[in-house]
Amino acid sequence: MRSLAACLGLIACLLVFVGSAAAQDPRYERLDPDTRARVSAVIDSARTVGLPTEPLIQRALEGVLKGAGSDRIVAAVRRLAVDLGVARSALGSGASSAELEAGVAALRAGATPTVLAHLRERRHQSLTVALAVLADLAARGVPVDSAAAAVLVLAPTARDADLVEFRRAVERDIALGAPPAAATSVRLDATARAAAPGRP
Amino acid sequence: MFEHAEDEIMERVIRQLRKPVAIDEGLDARVMRAIAADARPARQRPALVRRWPLLAAAAAVAGLVIAQPWSQGSGVRSDSYQFVLVAPQAASVALVGDFNDWDPARSPMRATHSGLWATIVPLAPGRYHYAFLVNGIEWRPDPAAPAALDDDFGSPSSVVTVGGGS
Amino acid sequence: MGIRKVEVSDAELVRRVRGGDIAAFGALVARYRDRLGRYAVHMTGDREDAEEALQDAFVRAYRSLARCDDPGRFGAWLYGILVNRCRTVGARASRRRRLFIREVEGTLNESTGADFIDRLEWDDAVSRALARLAPEHREAFLLKHVEDLEYEEIARVTGAGISALKMRVKRAREQLQRFLREAEHV
Repeated sequence: MRSLAACLGLIACLLVFVGSAAAQDPRYERLDPDTRARVSAVIDSARTVGLPTEPLIQRALEGVLKGAGSDRIVAAVRRLAVDLGVARSALGSGASSAELEAGVAALRAGATPTVLAHLRERRHQSLTVALAVLADLAARGVPVDSAAAAVLVLAPTARDADLVEFRRAVERDIALGAPPAAATSVRLDATARAAAPGRP
Repeated sequence: MFEHAEDEIMERVIRQLRKPVAIDEGLDARVMRAIAADARPARQRPALVRRWPLLAAAAAVAGLVIAQPWSQGSGVRSDSYQFVLVAPQAASVALVGDFNDWDPARSPMRATHSGLWATIVPLAPGRYHYAFLVNGIEWRPDPAAPAALDDDFGSPSSVVTVGGGS
Repeated sequence: MGIRKVEVSDAELVRRVRGGDIAAFGALVARYRDRLGRYAVHMTGDREDAEEALQDAFVRAYRSLARCDDPGRFGAWLYGILVNRCRTVGARASRRRRLFIREVEGTLNESTGADFIDRLEWDDAVSRALARLAPEHREAFLLKHVEDLEYEEIARVTGAGISALKMRVKRAREQLQRFLREAEHV
């Protein structure tokens, strides 16, 4: 029973329920009506182009808890929607929501879309932790170029746990007084030596 | 021979049915909201807090405890993480973040001993902003965790990244 | 500081919930949602009904946690609640036309077109065959062969005797094979 018609018939059976975000999610009740309408419009647009909406909802809820005004909340949600789109352009349409959010963090830390694309090429597993480590190193004062270079070197073979340990080691060194760029370089060399052939 | 062929079909069927089925990611939140509505009002202030006249700006310790995940045949797996804050003078501490809709009622922390406050939350792989809300009004990031660079609202948050276990 | 790896058992999480730590219940929800969700989707044949039954089961479990006699067997106890919720939801929806919806993994332009169509057709055939089983046969079959429960456990969860359950599973296997053979000849 192989036929395109059968295939299309099956596809037609896949029901996707699309409606206004605000109409379906009770969390929107935490927003005042004006903010709700404006945020809902942004989220509906994001959903239409296939961007994840949960990060956008969470950003709005964060703003509500922090007592931010309507304009500020809407601006934050819009900015995140745009950045998620940029991250997706760099990481590809197959990137998960977690990868896109981490990609946004890396972009906001100063990494270029090219760096994200290179990371996608080099690492054939989830990029979430790699991108997050890049952003977190930058947050600790490591120049973003150094952080990006280090993550790209580690990307092909390091497990997520190795990347997290790398970040922790750099942070410890910085806390002990090492300049951030130097700390990153030293730890990267140490990691490369440990991974050299013949080493246990 | 006939039985063997039928066993093969059955194995194929079972393999098919054992594949993970995606469940709406909002379901956890809906369950927890329903449960939070059931929860009792604020607990008694722990006596321990009154006995510790320490500095208002307490150091924070974030210890993350990963529970043994149950994952047979599952899709996205969540591990359990314990968040800990040392805040001896606090009357209440709530953990708020992307994982609980920034709702202080969802993850109230419980005072243990020596001014330690703790709670456990499940986290699927991803990157989460979070912070501690002390006494319902004081916004406190986690000094032991990376800061969220992309803060839009002027009150700093922290970041925790959960890997996929690779 | 840092990350420490320890085991937090179901029994420990239940103990914490009973002590007032409702966030610990979130850990139990996360631990069981996918597996129980899978059962609910296959049993009810409708994603909305399945999620309603699953959500209801979790909330009921929280409210009646004091009646979980063996916290170490929380999962099995939860199954019992879910099985009942699925029966209720199923009975309510029995007059609705049921359409088993299968989520498509991947996109149309992945792998080869023929493989993809074959997979879709097989997915659909299995779903339809499952839908044609009597509810008690489907229930027993899923609990035994998909959720891997032992007959003793299934008996506790469903309230049926072990002999009756074995007969239902056998009947389900026979019928599934017959329905799938019929589908091949369409």
